[in-house]
Amino acid sequence: MSDQSNTPAPEPPDAEAQTRIGVDSWVAESDDRQARKRGFFGPAARGWDASPDPVKLFLFIAVAGTIPFWMSEGDLFVYGLFTVLYATLGLGLNVVVGFAGLLDLGYVAYFGIGAYGYALVSSEHYGIHWPTLASLPAVMVFTGLVGLLLGLTSRRLVGDYFAIVTLFFLQAFLVFTNTANPDIAGVGLTGGSSGIGNLDPLKFFGYSLTSVKQQYYFFLIVLCLATAGLYFANRSRTGRAWRALREDPLAAEVMSIPVNRLKRLAIVMGAALAGLCGAIFAAIQTAVTSSNFTLNVLIVIFAVVILGGMGSIAGPILGAIVINVSLQFLQPQNDHPDIKRWLFYGAIILFIALMKPWYRAVVVLAGTVAFGFAVHAIVSATAAASWTSGTVADAGSASVAKVTAHWVVIPNQALHGSFATYAYIGLVVLVCVVRSVTGWWRTLALVPTLYMTAVVWENVLAPNPAVTAEILFGVLLIVIMTARPQGLIGTARVEIV
Amino acid sequence: MATPDPKREPKPLLELAGISMSFGGLVVIDELDLVVNEHEIVSVIGPNGAGKTTLFNLITGIYSPDTGDIRLDGESLVGLPPHKITRRGAARTFQTLRLFLNMTVIENVMASQYGQTKVGIARAMLRTPGMRREEREIRGRAEEKLSFFGERLMGYRWDQPAYSLSYANRRRLEIARAMATEPRILLLDEPAAGMNPTETHEITELIGKLRDEAGHTILVIEHDMHVVEGISDRVVALDHGVKIAEGIFEAVATNPRVVEAYLGASATVTK
Amino acid sequence: MHPLLFSIIDNIRSLGWGGAFQLLRNGLVLGSLYALIALGYTMIYGILKLLNFAHGDVYMVGAFLGYGILTRLNGPLNLAIGIVPAIALMFAVAMAGSGVLGVAIERFAYRPLRNAPRIAPLITAIGVSFFLENSVQLLTNGFQYTYDPFELGKTGNEELGPLYHTVFSVAGNPVTAVQLFVVGTAVFLMVALVLLVSRTKFGKSMRATAYDREAASMMGIDTDRVIALTFFIASMLAGAAGVMFGLYLGVTYYFMGFLAGLKAFTAAVIGGIGSIPGAMLGGLIIGLVESFAIGYVGGQWSDIVIFGLFILFMLFRPRGLLGSRAIQKV
Repeated sequence: MSDQSNTPAPEPPDAEAQTRIGVDSWVAESDDRQARKRGFFGPAARGWDASPDPVKLFLFIAVAGTIPFWMSEGDLFVYGLFTVLYATLGLGLNVVVGFAGLLDLGYVAYFGIGAYGYALVSSEHYGIHWPTLASLPAVMVFTGLVGLLLGLTSRRLVGDYFAIVTLFFLQAFLVFTNTANPDIAGVGLTGGSSGIGNLDPLKFFGYSLTSVKQQYYFFLIVLCLATAGLYFANRSRTGRAWRALREDPLAAEVMSIPVNRLKRLAIVMGAALAGLCGAIFAAIQTAVTSSNFTLNVLIVIFAVVILGGMGSIAGPILGAIVINVSLQFLQPQNDHPDIKRWLFYGAIILFIALMKPWYRAVVVLAGTVAFGFAVHAIVSATAAASWTSGTVADAGSASVAKVTAHWVVIPNQALHGSFATYAYIGLVVLVCVVRSVTGWWRTLALVPTLYMTAVVWENVLAPNPAVTAEILFGVLLIVIMTARPQGLIGTARVEIV
Repeated sequence: MATPDPKREPKPLLELAGISMSFGGLVVIDELDLVVNEHEIVSVIGPNGAGKTTLFNLITGIYSPDTGDIRLDGESLVGLPPHKITRRGAARTFQTLRLFLNMTVIENVMASQYGQTKVGIARAMLRTPGMRREEREIRGRAEEKLSFFGERLMGYRWDQPAYSLSYANRRRLEIARAMATEPRILLLDEPAAGMNPTETHEITELIGKLRDEAGHTILVIEHDMHVVEGISDRVVALDHGVKIAEGIFEAVATNPRVVEAYLGASATVTK
Repeated sequence: MHPLLFSIIDNIRSLGWGGAFQLLRNGLVLGSLYALIALGYTMIYGILKLLNFAHGDVYMVGAFLGYGILTRLNGPLNLAIGIVPAIALMFAVAMAGSGVLGVAIERFAYRPLRNAPRIAPLITAIGVSFFLENSVQLLTNGFQYTYDPFELGKTGNEELGPLYHTVFSVAGNPVTAVQLFVVGTAVFLMVALVLLVSRTKFGKSMRATAYDREAASMMGIDTDRVIALTFFIASMLAGAAGVMFGLYLGVTYYFMGFLAGLKAFTAAVIGGIGSIPGAMLGGLIIGLVESFAIGYVGGQWSDIVIFGLFILFMLFRPRGLLGSRAIQKV
């Protein structure tokens, strides 16, 4: 005790008895400094940030509303309608994941329940034909109730338990609809693997929505209403309470916020919106089968939310546009096979271009190109011809592919199987190496890694675009959570331990 | 029991009767009785591990007592979830600050008014006039609570994220956030911890103001004896979950059992 | 539900005691596999409080590694070396490979997110799971790979054959060698794990890290290394389970990890998450429930029955059978 009184008291870290010149204003401007967007997209991002929120919504409506005038019906269906579907689903998931911070992995099941619910009351399956104005609200109420029941089961509503309960619920739902299909009133309830067909179209006051254009506009209205509603909800006392419980559930509870009730509210709202999407989706497809509601769809919706930014309102819309358009480009039946290559090489070049400082980008770009030609030359000079004689996927119509075939090693069919496996594993290992070294070593390691990416792309990924899309979603989730957890337009969180 | 203010009829606000609590086999609170009268400032002191924070956790419903009853204004709080207890009028701060760090300063104070406001999600999504009126009221109350701290939490600080605040300001914001729940009794868990002498002095005055101007009854845990001396109408000393002394500061501070609890048995002998 | 109830009673009657024993036997074999996977879940959850969705896919990769070694040895019907070294090699490679995979997942996917909000590593885990599952789908073209147990079951095929056509009799009921082998290996691995956790210095540092990572690191424990080793061991167990699944059912496919992982996690929760004996018990329970549900209710209902059991546990005993009640720290 005594020796302590001799030593002078240390300067307290937070001394602020007197105002310090410049400090306060520096602190006051910190937001502006953080918001100052630089680089390539700086001006666009600044302009977007500066415009008030209603203007953003009207801009979006203006652009989205004109799409049907210049797009073909088929394109409108896959690019327009599906983007709107994913955006609305993303908004609903965002309420659960982004607002309440709960990992709801059964989300697609609500989507499916909504679709089946609509099918049961709007088809010859049981001969029931409810008017749309009755069936849509009924479906929303029902899926909301299902969500509520699921929320009630995990009493503590801690993230992990809820995640696994809902994931298992999705699995049970799929098994139930696909194989269990119990007989009710002499008919299999869900139609088994063939599902339920011949659904009534959406019909309001005598008008049936049968053309893609009508359906698109209807869905767009739903999306805009949901956006506006959630935007207002987010800026209400409920929205604040959600944010508070996401930050610190215990403190929120002690600050008079009923945490579990609000979490359940988020689950119910998300489920109801997903159910509505399911009903509209079923009506548009005029059929439901359980294959529409698999884990793959769940990952797409998660990718939409995470890419756009958890907890932001515009995030899921932006995420849906990016995800769905890329997804459609990757579809095997897409009539522009070249476009996926443009996308791929474009992404690689963008990745290189964003490197700092600029000379590093030049080194990597030049190095990768040179490395590729060198490897190609060495392989064709030393190894048997079979190592470079393979053909790229869709070689007939793809012009980029013909160029890259002189740069990328593509072995012929006989060697292809094991080469693909080793190249793929090699790429994963290389990426891990790049992640674990720093500085110029990383720059150096990037050269073979990027080349290997191109090799794997041409050999394995491009010929299997459907699976590639799934892999990319997995990678997207990992990369975003590590590199930019706030997504494209969310605000970065600050963690203080 | 000492009555601090002879002009006022002492009316018990918070009553703890025979509270016990144990974790596994470890008894943390043992048969504790405690009364806090309306408009009183009571300090709880005691060495680390005496059960002070557990006491707060019991009152606010984070734990529920094994035996005994906790009454606020005559109504039992036992078994109620924390948010309902806060709504009944007992709000607290945390010793380890637990602000909503990624929300702005004013949002922190607005969020804690959830319990006294009503507008539901449907009206919020439609943004009805009633909803907008209530939002204005919430914001007004939040500004009022923040202005209680003078210049410290004013102006540009309102729209800053809470993580940008200094440590002392975070403590103040914690108090403001608790005040915004309109509590009848305010439970402050070491409000002066980690503060420098100037700030400690300021906190001492503030606690007096909280009672005299804002009209809160206050139960405070504090280690800094200068603060305890400066604010307390009454002091309760805990050790190992047992109340070992109670009364005015001077009496408790010189009580041999209290000195023993703090300094060990040998200290009492030398005294 | 009446017709279903009738069919259950019918099934119980028609299968009789012999059938019940077979279901019990299948359940035990299945349960020991689930227990091995559940152990990994519970260890990783215990140390990182992370639900490692990718764990089921590590198990799947283990199964493929085992199968890959078998094809390198000219396949199950023309083994280049004897049955014992062949199986030993399968286990060694699959366990080492899965272990390294687990460590890599931890190092590159989870470690950067140690201090992020809880939901971030969970989402990453889903991403890893999805990445692994679809990568294997890509590389295997989505085919199922079979060991041909029917062919192997014929006497005369002396490579892996004895595993399938050697039949023991337990209380008058048939048990094949592969079933005994699976249960025996699982028990051996579990005993080894329990000894490792309870008797060694590593086990002590693992428990310390699980209890309080920060305090453990202040006591001079290299917690990163302990976590990596935990992932290694957990993934090794999953890899072994994958090989055992392949040997037992004679098939590997890219999506086998999803359902197995889901059920194993359920097993870990039912047993009490974080508890090693709990995971073993939970695994056995899930295996038995699944086996009896398949036998008595019907294969299409077994997942739903397990889900129902899971929900019952979540409602009435969320801490599981052997789990401890968590005290909220304030």
